[in-house]
Amino acid sequence: MEHTRILVVDDDREIANAIDKLLRMEGYDIIKAYNGLEALDVLISNNIQLILLDIMMPKLDGLSTILRIREKKNIPIIIISAKSEDSDKILGLSMGADDYVTKPFNPQELLARIKSQLRRYMFLGDMGNIKNSSQLIVGGLTLDKDSKQLFVDGEEVRLTPTEYKIMDFLMTNAGVVFSAEKIYEKVWEEPAYSVENTVMVHIRRIREKIEINPKEPKYLKVVWGIGYKIEKY
Amino acid sequence: MKSISRKKWVKCIAFALATVFITLAFMQLVYIKYINVDLESIIVREYRESKSFAYEVNKAISTTYKILESNTIVEPGEINYFYLIKDDERIFSNAPIYYRNFFERYKDTFFSYENGMSTIGKRINSDLIENPHGENDYTMYIAFPDTFMEEHQRLWNQARNISIPIILSVILCLVLSLLLLIYLGLVSGRKIGEAELYTSWMDNLYTEIILCGFIPMIIWILTLSKVLYYDTSVGYGLSDRQIFNMCLIGIVTVVITIISILAFLSIVRKVKGRNFYMHSIMSKIVPIITAYIKNLFDGNKFKNYPLTKRLHKRQVTFIILSAILVLFMLLCTLVPYLMILPIIIEAIIIYWYVKYNNETFDEINEGFNESIKEQMKAERMKINLITNVSHDLKTPLTSIISYVDLLSKEEDLSEAARDYVRILTEKSNRLKNILGDIFELAKSTSGDVNLEMEMLDLKKLIEQTLGDMQDDIEKSGFQIITKLPKDPIYIVSDGKRLYRVFQNIIDNALKYSLQGTRIFIEAGKKREDIFVILKNIAGYEMNFTAEEILQRFNRGDKSRNTDGSGLGLSIAESFTKVCGGDFKVDIDGDMFKVIISFKNAN
Repeated sequence: MEHTRILVVDDDREIANAIDKLLRMEGYDIIKAYNGLEALDVLISNNIQLILLDIMMPKLDGLSTILRIREKKNIPIIIISAKSEDSDKILGLSMGADDYVTKPFNPQELLARIKSQLRRYMFLGDMGNIKNSSQLIVGGLTLDKDSKQLFVDGEEVRLTPTEYKIMDFLMTNAGVVFSAEKIYEKVWEEPAYSVENTVMVHIRRIREKIEINPKEPKYLKVVWGIGYKIEKY
Repeated sequence: MKSISRKKWVKCIAFALATVFITLAFMQLVYIKYINVDLESIIVREYRESKSFAYEVNKAISTTYKILESNTIVEPGEINYFYLIKDDERIFSNAPIYYRNFFERYKDTFFSYENGMSTIGKRINSDLIENPHGENDYTMYIAFPDTFMEEHQRLWNQARNISIPIILSVILCLVLSLLLLIYLGLVSGRKIGEAELYTSWMDNLYTEIILCGFIPMIIWILTLSKVLYYDTSVGYGLSDRQIFNMCLIGIVTVVITIISILAFLSIVRKVKGRNFYMHSIMSKIVPIITAYIKNLFDGNKFKNYPLTKRLHKRQVTFIILSAILVLFMLLCTLVPYLMILPIIIEAIIIYWYVKYNNETFDEINEGFNESIKEQMKAERMKINLITNVSHDLKTPLTSIISYVDLLSKEEDLSEAARDYVRILTEKSNRLKNILGDIFELAKSTSGDVNLEMEMLDLKKLIEQTLGDMQDDIEKSGFQIITKLPKDPIYIVSDGKRLYRVFQNIIDNALKYSLQGTRIFIEAGKKREDIFVILKNIAGYEMNFTAEEILQRFNRGDKSRNTDGSGLGLSIAESFTKVCGGDFKVDIDGDMFKVIISFKNAN
């Protein structure tokens, strides 16, 4: 079987080398590029499954590179940048990146995110068009209502019945913010009275199961002082 | 002598006597008025030299002239002097002889008017004689007979006999009372055996109020002759009405005199105590007014601002010139056609004032814009600096963390090397956290923050934060007691940043509390304000102030090696402020208290 090939683009050669070593240990094939133009050249002549991309680079910066790549290819792109503002992340994701990792990153977390993106890419490829109506898909989350299972990037996550119900409710209404009371009434089917803590604790548990970095959740988000929601992708 | 003069009863007697003397003087003056004695008799010895006689002559002149005018002879009984008046056709007279030398015999009381020239008897007070008017072509002789003059001189002497003693007595009374007042003035405020000045309650009044004490006396003196000059008798006795009036005048005079003397003595004491001016309303008002005027014209405060200094100078010049022009204008009312001059000058001044002020205003605006631009530039540079430094620090750190991770995966490391790698991992992660905190703090204090303000429930936010941190709380072993209101506490704020605020202060409390104590969180509304209070008992002695703990990188326990950045409270404070709230730390013994407050969101 052919190795998965990953393109690492960073103008800082040491960082590119470190990522190269890290990923080779995990059995990936690595091609390095040191600016956006080189990256585009590599893409033409190679079969690449995933791209790690810095933003601040000479010649062609990361964001412009993403726009050029997205003209032709749908492969996963993970941004690795020192820019850590929310606005930078939103901009990067809206340009077509699939994930955003801030420098300095935790190597294990980066690895997890790469695996997750690859799995999803392959998984969605496997699914093809056989997506059936009982499946609810939000970003990398797939909820199968028939089998009462939740998949994150194609990998099953074990949820308790209550956790499943919460996810079902929030994913059905992805992007909508619900208060703890509302969630409690829907899931527990009892009148809600001082339930903030109960709901919050459940949310946190689910987060630990489905998020790569629970402290910076990608899907299940707390809207502070208001409620909870599943981010819509 | 000194000891006697300062005794209270001596002073009281002097006071009473002064009052009596002044009142007596008044009464006697009123008495003279009432018995209708001509006061001139005091100064002028001879009747024929008096004003009264001069008036008598004037009366005779006008009466005589009227005879010619009306062409009727006056009844002899009405006229007690000799007269002759004639023109070309007529002649009127009551004299036995119609010659001038008959009249000239009475050389002291003689008056003639002939060919437009008048001759007046030697000893008559000639200044007061009015020349007859009308046409010039008549002749008039007048002379008063000796019997008339003798009778009047007798009455004159009688008046002198009454008025002179009274006037002398009045003078004596006034002199005595003056002496008494001088004595009182000298001893007032002095007590036996005391060097200190003695003051009465009256002296605490403002000088101006005490001076008002003289007003009744002044009014009394000015109006007495008019108000009570009533029912004058011609004879030498007093009517019942006059006696009654005298009693009344006496009583009023006594009261007014007492008031005046009290005021006088109080003023004297003030002068002695050197606070005549110091303790007056004037002394309170004058400094305020002078300070105000001084402040108005004081250019010193513009010393460092050349442009506003110029404006100020021009303004002062304008005001002074305008004031001079107004005065000039008043003078010009005497010469109306000069009026055009100040108007022209004023117009020139206004033109000058407006023109140059506009120029200065333009300069000021320019400078102002410039400084705003510069400020914005500096602000932008600061933000760029933060971003660049942030990038330049993060990039090498990324390498460090990555290679340390690779190193930790090497299999043939010695036990010691493995230990070193573990420490490197730990420290580089800590460095990463500190860097993150520093940049967050730098950004929030530089003013470059994108806030996501929305209406949220502070109570819910606190509960969510506690739920989010439940693992840490359970691990720490502390119990957190909340006292939150039943109803939501709505505020408009940035939820993510507020979450960081509460996370940081709770984290701080968990780190530094005394084992076995409880942590209290209270929230609520106090009038218009929303507050959150966190209280905990410190597990060590807090030998620092509230200000010190909020300073960057300061940590309560300096010796303790913990994994925080030391910026937790600083970030909490900065974020609270960015969100429009107020962050206060209160240290009371071992109790550490954080008070966060917001203005009510309405």
